[in-house]
Amino acid sequence: MTAGALLLVAAAVFSIGLFGVLARRHAIGVLVSIELMFNAVNLAVAAIAWSRGLVAGVVLVLFGIAITVAEIAIGLALVLLAARVRKTSVLDDLDTLRG
Amino acid sequence: MRDLAFYALAVILLASAAAAVTARSLFRAAFALAAALLATAGFYLLLAAPLLAAVQILLYTGGVLTLIVFALVVTGAPAGGAALRRPLPAALLGVAVFAALASGTRGFGAGEARGGLDSGAAVGTLLFTDYLVPFELLSVLLLGAVFGALLLARKDRLE
Amino acid sequence: MIPALVTLCGPLAAFALIGLLPPLRRAGRPAALLSIAGIAVAALASGIQAVPYFRGVAAPATYEFLWAPLTGAPSIRFGLLVDGLSASMAALVALIALLVQVYSLAYMASEKPASLGRYYAYQAFFAFAMLGLVLSHNLLQTYVFWEMVGLGSYLLIGFFWERPEAGRAALKAFWTTRLGDVGFALGILVLWGAAGTFTFTELFAKVGGGAVAGSALSLGLAGITLGAMGKSAQFPFHVWLPDAMEGPTPVSALIHAATMVAAGVYLMVRVAPLLSHAPELMSAIFAIGVLTAFLAATMALVESDIKRVLAFSTVSQLGFMMAAVGSGGAGAAYFHLLTHAFFKALLFLTAGSLIHAVGSNDLFKMGRLARAMPVTAACFAAGALALAGIVPTAGFFSKDEILASVLAGGHPLGFALLVLTAGITAFYIGRAFFLAMLGSHDAEGHAHESPAAMTAPMAVLAVLALVGGALAPSIPRLFAGTIAPPAFEPETAPVFVPILGTLAALSGLALSWLAYQRRSFDPGAVRRAVGPVATLLERRYFVDDAFELVYRRAYLGLSSVVGWFDRYVVDGLVNAATWMTWLVAGRLRGMQNGRVQDALYAVAAGLVLLAWLALGR
Repeated sequence: MTAGALLLVAAAVFSIGLFGVLARRHAIGVLVSIELMFNAVNLAVAAIAWSRGLVAGVVLVLFGIAITVAEIAIGLALVLLAARVRKTSVLDDLDTLRG
Repeated sequence: MRDLAFYALAVILLASAAAAVTARSLFRAAFALAAALLATAGFYLLLAAPLLAAVQILLYTGGVLTLIVFALVVTGAPAGGAALRRPLPAALLGVAVFAALASGTRGFGAGEARGGLDSGAAVGTLLFTDYLVPFELLSVLLLGAVFGALLLARKDRLE
Repeated sequence: MIPALVTLCGPLAAFALIGLLPPLRRAGRPAALLSIAGIAVAALASGIQAVPYFRGVAAPATYEFLWAPLTGAPSIRFGLLVDGLSASMAALVALIALLVQVYSLAYMASEKPASLGRYYAYQAFFAFAMLGLVLSHNLLQTYVFWEMVGLGSYLLIGFFWERPEAGRAALKAFWTTRLGDVGFALGILVLWGAAGTFTFTELFAKVGGGAVAGSALSLGLAGITLGAMGKSAQFPFHVWLPDAMEGPTPVSALIHAATMVAAGVYLMVRVAPLLSHAPELMSAIFAIGVLTAFLAATMALVESDIKRVLAFSTVSQLGFMMAAVGSGGAGAAYFHLLTHAFFKALLFLTAGSLIHAVGSNDLFKMGRLARAMPVTAACFAAGALALAGIVPTAGFFSKDEILASVLAGGHPLGFALLVLTAGITAFYIGRAFFLAMLGSHDAEGHAHESPAAMTAPMAVLAVLALVGGALAPSIPRLFAGTIAPPAFEPETAPVFVPILGTLAALSGLALSWLAYQRRSFDPGAVRRAVGPVATLLERRYFVDDAFELVYRRAYLGLSSVVGWFDRYVVDGLVNAATWMTWLVAGRLRGMQNGRVQDALYAVAAGLVLLAWLALGR
């Protein structure tokens, strides 16, 4: 097991998450995909920290997790609000900014 | 043994990630996400960072999964939102991004890893000395997120 | 220099306060008193300032500051010039304006308070503009105040804006004078291009030194003359002045005596040192002046509106002044400007008093008013005698000077025409006097003498009109105190000049007495006998109709062509540009479909591109 292999896995998870963000129709599906991308980044940071022996990397991952949690809380609140006001959670229907 | 565990975890992680973005039911997707997060926790164990693994499982997996499932219950996960939207271009772009990222990992393949992330005491010391200010700012951020979420989700907000 | 500043600041402060404080303006009478106080201060200051110049013991003084620093050309300076000409003129303007404003207090008493406040705001502004014009030390500044005077007259002529005729008259006055002002502006620029300065002092020095090309000088002066002709209502720009009678009568007194029309003659007197370098232009000015004097006097013969009679009389007298300027007698012209200001203001104020009493402008509805209004009648008589030029009133001396200078300038034909005009003048003013004051039948309504606020200014002016001739010796002294003192040679006018003038005036008066008082012959029969001529006069030589024709045919025709071009060519280009913009925008806006994930595609693609740029190469 090398850091390079771990980073490749993280890159793959990140790309899969990106695919989900682009392809999911439902807002919660998109949020799930975003979580995957966050997770991939955290994994990559941990892998680099491990390869360099930096304890500070662990701290960074902890911060990343905390921010991710804050993000998902706000994101889900927005989805709930959209569902209540606009009666939909499908992102393509929320196109008020259409030119 | 470590390599075996690595490959097994990698397979589980990629498979559950793929399931999380493609599953027709959003409930299934949520649970696939939980599986992916757990697999990541396994990686953290492999990286000799048990503290991270514990936080990943307790806080992240538990908290995020609870929130998502709760949101799905409240909004009533619709069947119409399950189908994928233009999967082919999205996949192409995903592959392109992967290629870009993968090309950036060159140079990490060789060399011995130093490890040494397993001391929870060291992390705690760092958190409350060098990173005290970011830590406190983070607590403010979380507080703000809680208030923001409350405010956004309040029923009488727009009435 | 302090008195000059005080002179300007009095009316300006009054105008600013009345204009900026709506409660004061709506209060009416306090605003009026404030304006009167302002102009009284100005009159006092300018009077004190003028005395040394009248005595011939003061030198010209200049105050100036840098206004527009230029590179590559001499910088433009603004400032005040106090010399014999401007000091005496400022004193005259302030005095007449003061008397008119006091008079207006009674004349306009029936106006609503807000209206009265507006009236006095205009009055203060008008006085400030004219004083500023008089005291300007350069042509550009003169032009600025010149236009302000035009604006002031526009506002005051159109004061009764509820009446459509008043609005039309105000517009007519503004447009007609603007027509001349175009020439004025061009003339200033031509002179500036040739001499590189706007300042009178430098201009005179450069022209005197022969540093300015003759053609440019003539062209520039011709433009300035055009402006003066517009303001001073010279033929054919005289059309606005009779219509300007739509304004309140005190305003007419002001416009005809001290401001507006006086501005043109004042300007010509001011630039007279330059005119002597353009003899052909002087001949033209002389011809225009004589023509105007004669035509306007004849038009006054058939007018029945007392104010219009006086208006034509003003045009005619301004023609006299222009003729004097054209014949090289700027001093005579200026002298007549002063005396004319006295008796014309007097005549208008008395006319206002009559109209106030009778409620009509029509001469034929007046009659035997002398009995009910003795003060007014006496004042009117004084003004009429001065206008007719009977010894020893002010008008006699100044008219005599003009006739002498015309003769000395070598224009015997013009001299004869002017003497004839003097006779006609005496006739039409006698006609007005006999019809209104004596006559054979009583006026309509119950005439009564006007209040003291009206008769007092009239009395002051009457005295001035009678004894103003005493100023005659001061005129050379005033001119000696200007920035360009003329090489003065005392003209010895032939003795027959005053005799001829007096004879013409007396015979005119006598004829009017016979026609309208004694009824020795019927004026109506004379009118029928010379039918076509009378029609010509009544239609005012068809000048108004000619203007209308030019306007209708040429101007509107050109306008419709230009309008077509604008609508279909200029607008067409604009519309084509709009259409193309819409077309392109319609295509482009499809990119912004409002879907967040499509935007994310762009973000992700951009990320890949950046990564390729950073790592791939």
